[in-house]
Amino acid sequence: MTMIRRFWLEAAAVLIVAGSLFRSFTVEADVVQGDVQRIMYVHVPSAWLAFLAFVVTMIGSVAWLRTRNRRWDRLAASSAEIGVVFTGLAILAGMIWARPVWGQFWTWEPRLVTTALLFFVYLGYLALRRAVVDPVQRAQRAAIMGIVAAVQIPIVYYSVNWWRSLHQASSRNSIDTPLRITLLLGVLAFTFVYAVLLRRRLELAHLEEELEARRFEASPDVAGAGITAPSLAKANKHD
Amino acid sequence: MNANPIVSLENVGLRIGNTLILRHAKMTLEPGEKVGLLGPNGSGKTTLLRMIATLLRPTSGSGEVLGAELGTDAVYDVRHRIVMVGHLPGLYPELTLGENTRFVARLAGRPLELADESLAMVGLAGASERRADQSSKGMLRRAELARALIIEPTLLLLDEAHAGLDAEAIGIVDDIAERVVGAGGAVILVSHEPDRLTVDRSVQIVDGTLEAVS
Amino acid sequence: MTFWRQVYEIARKDLLVESRTAEVALMTAPFGAAALIMIPLAIGTDAPLLTDLGPGLYWIVVLLFGILVILRKSAVDGGPQRDLVRLLGIDPAARFTGATIATSLLVLLFEVALGPVLVALYNPDLRGWPWLFLILPLVAIGMGLLGTIASGVTTSLGTRTSLTPLLVVPLALPLLLGATQAFEGLQLGGSIVPWLVLLFAVDLALAVSGILASGPLEEAVT
Repeated sequence: MTMIRRFWLEAAAVLIVAGSLFRSFTVEADVVQGDVQRIMYVHVPSAWLAFLAFVVTMIGSVAWLRTRNRRWDRLAASSAEIGVVFTGLAILAGMIWARPVWGQFWTWEPRLVTTALLFFVYLGYLALRRAVVDPVQRAQRAAIMGIVAAVQIPIVYYSVNWWRSLHQASSRNSIDTPLRITLLLGVLAFTFVYAVLLRRRLELAHLEEELEARRFEASPDVAGAGITAPSLAKANKHD
Repeated sequence: MNANPIVSLENVGLRIGNTLILRHAKMTLEPGEKVGLLGPNGSGKTTLLRMIATLLRPTSGSGEVLGAELGTDAVYDVRHRIVMVGHLPGLYPELTLGENTRFVARLAGRPLELADESLAMVGLAGASERRADQSSKGMLRRAELARALIIEPTLLLLDEAHAGLDAEAIGIVDDIAERVVGAGGAVILVSHEPDRLTVDRSVQIVDGTLEAVS
Repeated sequence: MTFWRQVYEIARKDLLVESRTAEVALMTAPFGAAALIMIPLAIGTDAPLLTDLGPGLYWIVVLLFGILVILRKSAVDGGPQRDLVRLLGIDPAARFTGATIATSLLVLLFEVALGPVLVALYNPDLRGWPWLFLILPLVAIGMGLLGTIASGVTTSLGTRTSLTPLLVVPLALPLLLGATQAFEGLQLGGSIVPWLVLLFAVDLALAVSGILASGPLEEAVT
């Protein structure tokens, strides 16, 4: 594979991330909040990625159930692993932003709350995967949980938004165009980073499975192979 | 015999996690046959039995049980014609032996009286009100065999066929197997005591394939 | 045997087994009641405070402790019992529905058992209480559905008792919000119908995904 084919995604990601960073630091700061507002360009795209990654997990889950092809399970798992990182990042960025602006680490703002809940959904999904030894069972159980969770998440999001709108006037002021462009650039940059990470993770997962398959073919662990007829005479030789 | 085989496995592979149970396994079970399944501990007899019971799907190859292709939805239509008595009791511990058998009768669409009758036939009439978790292993085994009498399966699978049964009860296994076979069905018995089996032939799992035992 | 007959037999069996252990009535409900007594000891026994917070605390206890209803022994089928049910030719969707009905009824029992405790200790404002006849069952059904799905996915796993709560609680949030906001709406004289619609939507979404997942779920467990 030529260098370009192999690394075009990384190259594009580097360019867009660089552009986004540059823009994030040079665009005018928010009048009210000052420079700390720039962390929004990390927080919002991370939150967007958190949701996107779970959508991809859901797609992989549906595809696995329909085709039983392991590559879809790899997609679901890889996306979840990356998604949980972005979710954590989104929460952290949100907390760093909230503290100087509103004086506390947590604001109960709908997006932050649903992102936190999404974090727990991811943790549950990954914990479930970790708890199941057999790969086919793992894929099946995780796929079911992935789909059920994905269906519920919009309802969760909607209900939290609704609940908050009753108790608090919307704190979302309309964003000026230059800031909005910066935000979109940030979202684009993060999406590319996600794509790069996903691709690498998928390759790694594929290689792991290949290795395991080759090992298995070379010397399969046949049931009962290690079990021989017992003989106490041999055991007593240690006396 | 022009009747379709009850079990037909063609080049079947079965792998659970990192353990290979079967590879290129071939087996045919005709109506009226009683087959013994032998093999040392851990060789995969129980797993093979569960696959034939349509509870596990093969990893490769194809198999048919009672005309249904393994691993497809067709198995849903034939499961009610299979009875498997595993080496752990398939009874609800908190329910009595009578309640357990009546539950089976109701779900199998058989008359309730048959539940009590079958318990009597296996010698448990007096223990009908005993909770399953307060019954001995042998009693539980007998209660499970009662299930075969209620359902009258076409395929009977017995894991550790004689385990836990006293001298009186061991004869039940052969009688029930005879019943099934007499009605055109087939029986597979897993046992560690091949001398006690009255079967037409035996097979053994050797390195993942099924070989006839002379 | 018809689908609904199968559902009935499964639910009946689950409830019969539960009646022998009486886990929900004699262990989980008292535990929930103990929690409701302990909370004021931690946050303050000021009467207006308790009247205000009472309903919310009740629903939190229902949500978190209701998980124990989901985890109860009578909801757990061992391997041989699962094999038995499958070989009896029971439709996986019927098994799912029957198990959900049993769990939902037991969660409802739990909710009802804690009701008097809430009223006695917290003196909540019970304006519009007839609506509870709708709110309580809707929440119970949601917990039952989530519980049956989560139990199915964690069957025979050693860490089941820790994993199931983690899977259920985040997804049960709309149930919590729907119930608490409906209650609050009653007290403020506002409309609670939208919240009831939310509860219903959650239950419907879970029911559909649960039934669709019931077949794959059964195949997932060796």
